[in-house]
Amino acid sequence: MADGALLLQAVVDSLPAYREFPAIGSRAAVWIAAEVHLMFAAFVLGVPLFAVVAEAIGIFNKEDRYDRLAKEFTRLLLVAYSATAIWGVVLTFFLLTLYPRFFRYLSAIFGPSMWLYVGLFFLESFTLYLYYYGWERWKQGRAKWAHWSLGILLNVWGTIVMFIANSWLTYMMSPPRDVAPATDPTTIKVWHAIANATWMPINVHRLIANVVFGGAIVAAYASYRFLAARSDEERAHYDWMGYVGNFIAISALIVLPFAGYWLGREIYEYDESMGITMMGGFMSWLWVIQAFLIAVLFLAGNYYLWVGMERIPGAERFRPYTKWLLAILVVGAIVWGTPHTMIATSKEIAAMGGSHHPFLGVLGVMSAKNTAVNLMILTTFLSFLMYRRANKRPVVPWARTGTQIQAAMFIVAAAVVLFYGIRGYFVEAIVRIGYSVYQVLAVLACIVGVTVIDVMLGRGAVSRGDIQWGKMPPRSQYALFILAVTFTWLMGLMGFARSGIRQHWHVWQVMRDTSTSAATPALGYAAEMISVCVLIFLALVAFVFWLGGLAEKPTFVQTEATGGVHVGH
Amino acid sequence: MWATNLRIVALVLGTLGLYTLIANEIPQVQSEVPQTLALGADVTPEQLVAAGERVFTGAGGCTACHGLGTRAPNLLTDEKGTGLIGERCGKREPGKSCKQYLYESLDNPNASVVPGYEPIMPAVTRQLPPAQVWAVIAFLESQGGSVDVTASDIPAQTPGLTPGASPGSAGGGALAGGSTDPMTLFRVGGCVGCHKLGAEGGAVGPDLSRIGARQTASQIRVSILDPDARITPGFENFKGIMPKTFGDQLTAAQLEALVRFLAARR
Repeated sequence: MADGALLLQAVVDSLPAYREFPAIGSRAAVWIAAEVHLMFAAFVLGVPLFAVVAEAIGIFNKEDRYDRLAKEFTRLLLVAYSATAIWGVVLTFFLLTLYPRFFRYLSAIFGPSMWLYVGLFFLESFTLYLYYYGWERWKQGRAKWAHWSLGILLNVWGTIVMFIANSWLTYMMSPPRDVAPATDPTTIKVWHAIANATWMPINVHRLIANVVFGGAIVAAYASYRFLAARSDEERAHYDWMGYVGNFIAISALIVLPFAGYWLGREIYEYDESMGITMMGGFMSWLWVIQAFLIAVLFLAGNYYLWVGMERIPGAERFRPYTKWLLAILVVGAIVWGTPHTMIATSKEIAAMGGSHHPFLGVLGVMSAKNTAVNLMILTTFLSFLMYRRANKRPVVPWARTGTQIQAAMFIVAAAVVLFYGIRGYFVEAIVRIGYSVYQVLAVLACIVGVTVIDVMLGRGAVSRGDIQWGKMPPRSQYALFILAVTFTWLMGLMGFARSGIRQHWHVWQVMRDTSTSAATPALGYAAEMISVCVLIFLALVAFVFWLGGLAEKPTFVQTEATGGVHVGH
Repeated sequence: MWATNLRIVALVLGTLGLYTLIANEIPQVQSEVPQTLALGADVTPEQLVAAGERVFTGAGGCTACHGLGTRAPNLLTDEKGTGLIGERCGKREPGKSCKQYLYESLDNPNASVVPGYEPIMPAVTRQLPPAQVWAVIAFLESQGGSVDVTASDIPAQTPGLTPGASPGSAGGGALAGGSTDPMTLFRVGGCVGCHKLGAEGGAVGPDLSRIGARQTASQIRVSILDPDARITPGFENFKGIMPKTFGDQLTAAQLEALVRFLAARR
């Protein structure tokens, strides 16, 4: 028996570094498994975050529809959870069989954290089962609070699980500086490897991105239900659910770039060459594509709000402004997508007539781009504010002054953004980089200040009429689909950026990729892979949601969606 | 309902198709793996310059910053009236030749940052093998100056050695990044999985703790390169398990270091 074990060990030790996967190759196989697993994981980590928030709103405001919404979110979670685990297993087996030496290297360092991961996965699973199946049983009094605590616990387990998995991939990007190619992996302390330079920025970035992603997928689910609805009540419920999902997605999206800046800065601080590869090297064109995708998100998100205002009495007074908002978004998107410093051959530079385009080059610099994106964020916030205010007539005595202060805040924020954007052209790069902080702070201050005033203005507000939930044209629902597809594709693109900047290294400057697929592919090939992954994910999501629908009827609220005075959202 | 389903499918496919199309329409740049440069003792300046240009515009990634006029000094065109890099490199630091200055710029770029630029350049010597570094220097010297890099500047290098090769590398690079530490080779090479050496190791193959007392250095060398040539009595059932690839994986220096180390275990 012992000889058999030793023989097995000997066989493992003599394994080749790589094995080839039939037809599509090892890299494509692992790429698909990792990406689809990540998409499901993002969904099952993002949804519980706002399921507990929705449940809390239901508890505090005593609004049953929020409680039912949270339950329906969780039901989606339940069916997606097993798909996440299956794809996780597929990824693990692919790594074990296609990249055996690399996986052995990682497991030599992270073995204990992998055991912990599995243990927490069990805890998370059973907490989820308790949370969902105990919903009706623990619905009243203290039991409800205990149930809500289970939701919190579910998020705690999920977040720790994500943090552990993040440590493995961030180690590949930014191993501690004292780790060299010759370092025996068994001598590297686990915590030393976990707490690497990019671990926490990735944790925060993914936490926020999961909320964005979960919101977008839930909104797409609701939009499908809306389009398939057979009654007005059902349509009203899913209209409202789509609104909530989209609101959560867009709100979290506004914060996401700040987490992205932090991650980018840490990458530069860890290794400049990696940062330069990311922003100015062979990946520079990726950011132009990213700008295009985010422009689509802004435009589709705003379009959904503008169309949604058609079902809100009183919103017609804001309609004349939408064309101007659209103009700002379109111009902003064009500026943001303007290429500037690209990796180029001497022939290409000569064809361009210099290192930059003689006219467009001026728009491609960070001063212009930061200005554009900050104005786009302000514009989106203004759209949301108009949506929020559409059917309200404030009654507080200082209503007029409050609105004027809000307008002044917008003007000041836009002026600060423009001032530093223009001034950025006349100062050194190091000073210019600092200006982006002032621009961001001005926008954030405006968002916070205006929201606080708006909440106070809304106290006791008189309704101009109920929101006609369900009276949305179908085209608005297709906008939600575009948002979900674009969010998912963007996630795949950013995953390629994060992973691709390691180039031909499994572990940056420690473990070289010597496989036949070591070269990092160009964006065209990456885009094809991303589209395949998104297609697989969306097809499976549609399937598991359909399965979920077979098992249980959706839970929509009849009475509150159609009757009663409801001011606000 | 089928019409709605079809519309949704068409919308999703259309959106994915559009994004994929746009990504394929922009310039396609693939990040290639740096190749080991084989430069013999009789390499000519022209060969060095040609090789350096390929590294400069390719695997070296130099054009990501140099030549754009914003992030780093122009090297191939005039830099603020000071001429091309080959013209100005010998005047940048008193007492340093062009060659010395350029090597310092690649080895320790922050030692002398050109005024007006940020210290953002990474140490290129950490990323490229010496032959490529010296080829780039020759190429830069050729930009308005004369090339004085020769084969003697390039440190002797074992053929096939790729700096930074990892424990997991297979082919194309030496084990353990070229390390000649015998214990590192013993562990990274996987010997420890089967052979016991002191307190560590498995028991699939013979115990090597006192191998020097049983075999000569020559016999040990043969056992590493051709493991099945002679099977130690008692291990006949394990014939064929030990890889026959160490002759390809180890450099000559590594093999000799390992043989000497084992022969001394008495």
